[in-house]
Amino acid sequence: MKVGLFIPCYINAVYPHIGVACYKLLTSLGIEVDYPLGQTCCGQPMANAGFEKDSLTLAKRFEQLFKDYTYVVGPSASCVAFVKENHPRILSEHGEHVCETSKHIYDITEFLHDVVKPEHFASHFPHKVSLHNSCHGVRELHLSSASELTIPYYNKIRSLLERVSGITVVEPERIDECCGFGGMFAVEEPEVSTCMGHDKVKDHMATGAEYITGADSSCLMHMEGVIERKHLPIRTIHYLEILSAQL
Amino acid sequence: MNSKDFIIHSLRENIKEHFPRPELKISHIVYHDKLKQFIEISAAVGGRAEILGEGETIDNAIRRIFPDASRIACNLPEVTCATYNPDHIETPTELNGTDLVICRGIFGVCENASVYFEQEYLQRSIYFISESLLMLLPKDQLVDTMHDAYQRVPNEHPGEFRGFMSGPSKTADIEQALVMGAHGPRQVTVLLI
Amino acid sequence: MSTTHSKAAKAFLSDKANAKWHDKTLYMVRTKRDRLSHAIPEWEELRNAAQNIKQYSNSHLPELIEEFEKNATANGCYVHYAKDAEEYRTIIERILRDHSVRKLVKSKSMLSEECHLNPYLIEKGYEVIESDLGERILQLLNANPSHIVMPAIHIKREIVGKLFEEKLGSEKGNSDPTYLTHQARKALRQDFLNADAGMTGGNFAVASTGEVIVCTNEGNADMGISCQKLNISAFGIDKIIPDLESLAIFTRLLARSATGQPITTYTSHIGRPRKGGEQHFIIVDNGRSKILGMPQHRKSMNCIRCGACMNTCPVYRRSGGYSYSYFIPGPIGINLGMLHNPQKHSGNVSACSLCLSCSNVCPAMIDLGEQIYVWRQKLDVFGQASSEKKLMSKGLQFLMERPYLFHSALKMAPIINKMPRFLLYNRLNAWGKDRELPQFAKQSFESWWKKNHQSKNN
Repeated sequence: MKVGLFIPCYINAVYPHIGVACYKLLTSLGIEVDYPLGQTCCGQPMANAGFEKDSLTLAKRFEQLFKDYTYVVGPSASCVAFVKENHPRILSEHGEHVCETSKHIYDITEFLHDVVKPEHFASHFPHKVSLHNSCHGVRELHLSSASELTIPYYNKIRSLLERVSGITVVEPERIDECCGFGGMFAVEEPEVSTCMGHDKVKDHMATGAEYITGADSSCLMHMEGVIERKHLPIRTIHYLEILSAQL
Repeated sequence: MNSKDFIIHSLRENIKEHFPRPELKISHIVYHDKLKQFIEISAAVGGRAEILGEGETIDNAIRRIFPDASRIACNLPEVTCATYNPDHIETPTELNGTDLVICRGIFGVCENASVYFEQEYLQRSIYFISESLLMLLPKDQLVDTMHDAYQRVPNEHPGEFRGFMSGPSKTADIEQALVMGAHGPRQVTVLLI
Repeated sequence: MSTTHSKAAKAFLSDKANAKWHDKTLYMVRTKRDRLSHAIPEWEELRNAAQNIKQYSNSHLPELIEEFEKNATANGCYVHYAKDAEEYRTIIERILRDHSVRKLVKSKSMLSEECHLNPYLIEKGYEVIESDLGERILQLLNANPSHIVMPAIHIKREIVGKLFEEKLGSEKGNSDPTYLTHQARKALRQDFLNADAGMTGGNFAVASTGEVIVCTNEGNADMGISCQKLNISAFGIDKIIPDLESLAIFTRLLARSATGQPITTYTSHIGRPRKGGEQHFIIVDNGRSKILGMPQHRKSMNCIRCGACMNTCPVYRRSGGYSYSYFIPGPIGINLGMLHNPQKHSGNVSACSLCLSCSNVCPAMIDLGEQIYVWRQKLDVFGQASSEKKLMSKGLQFLMERPYLFHSALKMAPIINKMPRFLLYNRLNAWGKDRELPQFAKQSFESWWKKNHQSKNN
């Protein structure tokens, strides 16, 4: 089993330590990890803004880089969902045959929870964290039971976090309401987006948590922007940093 | 081409894919204590449902539940406390000002406390114009859900009007504050007999 | 880069207290919906069934329309057909004229809004009374609905109090909702009794019985159709469902999704005309048959107008119904507006963070969010794409298609962190107005990898 590590553009640029945490965590679980060089972006920002065709070359390149790995694993639910849900159609609409990567791409949560299944993590995190259930993680990758659906409760991120000693995991009242990031939505509808971000951070703060954590760095980045501007007493942390705290 | 043909033609032109008729087999919720469920949900929708007391007549119950009703409309032979028979009245205007109307329900639905009724009065408006409404419903005529309910609603219906009623007329159109008695009865009671 | 929606949303949000109330109140409705739907173990099965019935009925409309007409006619009703809004209006006007009607009392109908019925009739000299409380408030205020189920959700009780004081002679300074509702009841009671005709929309039209089903909580549609001898019910072709078995599914979904009630107070089957009266049905196309031919969008015709997508939409809740240019707001409104007139309504397409909650909440399983995504892709074709956004996308594409350039840029990027704030945080930076920008890392992941792996390997 060889895992190709997919590091989305903004993690490469802004949150490389999350990529490092992902790498270390997988390696510590005895998994062979490779990072194909020259990765940039999956094309989601252009596509969500309405320029899906601008992401064709990127989708092709992604397929080239990753098609030979048993698993493609990335630490960003939204980007993984984009590859999984949209790359096959983007490629097929432009005469490209199969999209192999979409079949074996996993968000790190799915990969840990459903494939690797470690019983516990050698990590100690004696803090209260509020879980950010991100839209694409919930409604595209089904990492947790969406609040709108009448299905039994489950939450794969929570389940993984609870394998860390000392941690207290809580969830906000509006359990999976959007934080207002939405890619270019954040700059095209700045007032609504910011208002959503503020409301979301406050909802997390109301739990009494010290940290907001989740599987999507883009949401965390958005909330961090709000927190820092207002100097709010809560911090964001990618949940992989918690799982790998002792590595 | 008349407009009907125009629409049908446009539909035939545009619809490229024909989806099959689904088989509707819903394994739905079943209430073991139907009476209890019906009474609870009746209260939840702002209405009331109660079982006719042992030895109590319908007239007694009406007087007990609606002590202040003075203008009472009914055409049912089992009700003798009515003050007039609305079938003898020509216009809705003359029905206006009725305190209470008593009518028959055919069956009740446990999931939502609605009662199926068919228009039995000459004036359709009597079901809506009165301040209060009492429905007489046989207590063994309760079904679980709307699936069972519509099994019992006949396709061929000789009457003018029919439907389901669940609790009193209500609205929340001002700031989502719930108010009973928007246009129809302010109070609806189902008397399970 | 701002759109018609984002500008209007900014104005809506400037009244912070009101915006907060709007968000909270509608989220409460969503919560009620959750409580009711989660109590039905077979909920997801029902949604699936609703979707399948609609896909069946919408693809078999020629047959179902014939069946409806046959049964409705046998019941003694008149069936008319309107290919567009204009014909809908003229049919109604003709019926009213033929019966010397002067005053029409009507219940809430989104179709009548779509086809601009009221202004047309009023111009022709008819008195038109909206009888749904919310719609009546708006009519007296000369305003439009901002939600399809709770049309006056944006109006505060004090405004209603003042309005009723002036128009209905209610007590000065009394803005208690119960008091005001009962004032409206008293006034509208007279309108019901002295109007010459009643009109309703239709939630469902059942082909196998020829009945039109109207669902209300107030009983205003029922008062209308039972006080008048002449009644008109008009509905879009998409309201036709096969039979009562199908109706059972929709009656279970509609009110739970809309307001978190187990069913509406009244589920009325309009079957036959009143004794000595007339019942007219008008079946309206107005662009619907064409939409049924658009594979990516035809599911929008599954809509049962419950409004659940509005209540769950984080953008709708924080921008209000008036921020959308189409008369139906929220996720379904964005889609229907684009289907109606893409040139006119493309300014709404930005009102979506693609959170997809609407698609999950929809009782007829319309892929609302996914369809908005599709519309975004089409804006460029309509010449409606933002040129700034296009430039950003192109710029991003240029950079990302060149890994060498991207990674070289990342080496330089930390310089931005040190730039003076006025250069970064200014009018041109929509992100930075109320949010801090993320800081570029000193070393990108790729650089870290190279350092830690290639050196080892070499």
